[in-house]
Amino acid sequence: MKAKIDYKEIIKIIDLLEERNLSEFELEIEDLKIKISRAPQKTNSQEIAPAVPLASIAANSEAPAQTEPADDEEGLHFITSPMVGTFYRSPNPSTPSFVEKGEMVAKNQTLCIIEAMKLMNEIEAEVEGILEEIYIKNGKPVEYGQKLFAIKPQN
Amino acid sequence: MISKILVANRGEIALRIIRTAREMGIKTVAVYSEADRNSLHTMFAHESVCIGPAKTSESYLNIPNIISAAQITKADAIHPGYGFLAENPRFPEICDSEDITFIGPSASLINLLGDKNAARLGMKKAKLPVIPGSNDVIVELSEAKSIAKKIGYPVILKAASGGGGRGMRIVRSPNQMDEQLSIAQYEAKAAFGDPSLYMEKYIENARHIEIQIIGDTQGYVIALGERECSIQRKHQKVLEETPSPFIDEKFRKRIIKAAQDAADSIGYQSLGTFEFLVDNEKRFYFMEANTRVQVEHPITEMVYGVDLIKEQIKIASGERLSFPHDLQMSGHSIECRINAEDPDTFIPSAGKIEFLVLPGGQGIRVDSAAYHGWTIPPDYDSLLAKVVARAPTRKEAIQKMQTALEMTTIVGIKTNIPLHLNILSNPDFKKGNYTIQFLENFLSKKIVKSKT
Repeated sequence: MKAKIDYKEIIKIIDLLEERNLSEFELEIEDLKIKISRAPQKTNSQEIAPAVPLASIAANSEAPAQTEPADDEEGLHFITSPMVGTFYRSPNPSTPSFVEKGEMVAKNQTLCIIEAMKLMNEIEAEVEGILEEIYIKNGKPVEYGQKLFAIKPQN
Repeated sequence: MISKILVANRGEIALRIIRTAREMGIKTVAVYSEADRNSLHTMFAHESVCIGPAKTSESYLNIPNIISAAQITKADAIHPGYGFLAENPRFPEICDSEDITFIGPSASLINLLGDKNAARLGMKKAKLPVIPGSNDVIVELSEAKSIAKKIGYPVILKAASGGGGRGMRIVRSPNQMDEQLSIAQYEAKAAFGDPSLYMEKYIENARHIEIQIIGDTQGYVIALGERECSIQRKHQKVLEETPSPFIDEKFRKRIIKAAQDAADSIGYQSLGTFEFLVDNEKRFYFMEANTRVQVEHPITEMVYGVDLIKEQIKIASGERLSFPHDLQMSGHSIECRINAEDPDTFIPSAGKIEFLVLPGGQGIRVDSAAYHGWTIPPDYDSLLAKVVARAPTRKEAIQKMQTALEMTTIVGIKTNIPLHLNILSNPDFKKGNYTIQFLENFLSKKIVKSKT
């Protein structure tokens, strides 16, 4: 008998990964091999990727690469843009910004929104700390890997 | 009217498209992966946007990032080049829904011709001769064996979603079928995510000859004379020329008309190529259609004196095709694909170009994104430059190409220039006496020679 798995089951596994906060899942039945990885601190960028074939998450290749937020020598933690789009500091023009320079931010706190293909993607803080720098002005375009924020982590 | 084009590609073809757009007064946007930050296309475009890491699935194949890059730069059109997203029907569909002009054929045409077996059956209906083979996708070994028995060995297995020579296997006898079928299925699955295969009779001593198609949105379609692409290694084209030394005027008219009628019958629009196999008795068979600009398009431009990309851009903005119905070719043109690879082992040779002199002079065209000091990233294909020669006769074109390649100097990486010089001085090649087996035989003889 051939091992079979359909799209719905893959989605279930992905949901399970999120629910349990797992970062990697591997399944091997006969000639079928599935490996799903997720970056624990990644934003909801999956939502804007309907055009990316399932192969990119369900392929038997290595885990998807991601932007490595680098820490510099002064101990600053940089948040970089995981996608191309337009940078917004608030949920809509009439509301205040998510964060201001000098404020304390919590881990997983929303820092900004990047609009890509009419979808709003919330970008969250990967670490807790003081927001040292905001590199982009509201409403400006950002490219992949561009520095958005610097956070001084709290120990 | 198109005012700004985002070029969703890299390397020489991105630069080729940027050049023509600039000539037309159209602004350009380059997109690049982190591995291509210092690539030439990013420097000659008016703007450039990083769209992801080196891995192609997250950059050059990342539709959301490419569409977003077009939106933040306000580009109103996207040119896909060749490879990457050029033949993905989802891409023009998404461009449409975002009000971006896709410079290429419609999603429905890409769909129609993209499934290689469906295209074959469709073209059979459009009265193009096709190679005898399976009518459906082959799944079981018993099926494969019974079809092969009916059409006669040798046969070739091909990936239904294939292209670029991958997922193809020649089977010469029934006892090879089991092994070759599973390898071909595996290759097709790995390369295209679809293990579907179809089967054709394998024609020995054939030529690979292709016809350029171009059609506008108002239903005017014409076909241009042939590109001879038989010099191949592992189904990868190495050297192309036009006209084919194997073809006479009568045959040319016949094959052009057949391709034109077929393209007309499906309402082909934008640039496309119909590939044919031509056997010893000058019977031609439709193989597949490519719904994009071909790598080897410059040789057609050289003998017809046209700019195919310019025409493609004009067609995409709704203009009529400006070529007359009886456009004639003049002279002879050859293209050598200079790859960054070992000329003997064919292993790709990435690295830094320490010194570079590209050829020039009358009748020589070089399409390349290489420059002195550039480090070739290991993440992409090895095509480094296309050297194209044009002269009044085939003999002069060969001499011109030999001189050009002898004067090409590339230090720091290995290239296949020695292989090209060997081909160009081969007596059979000089006589125009070659088939798709030429390079394979030539290389195996060379190995025997170097061993003794």
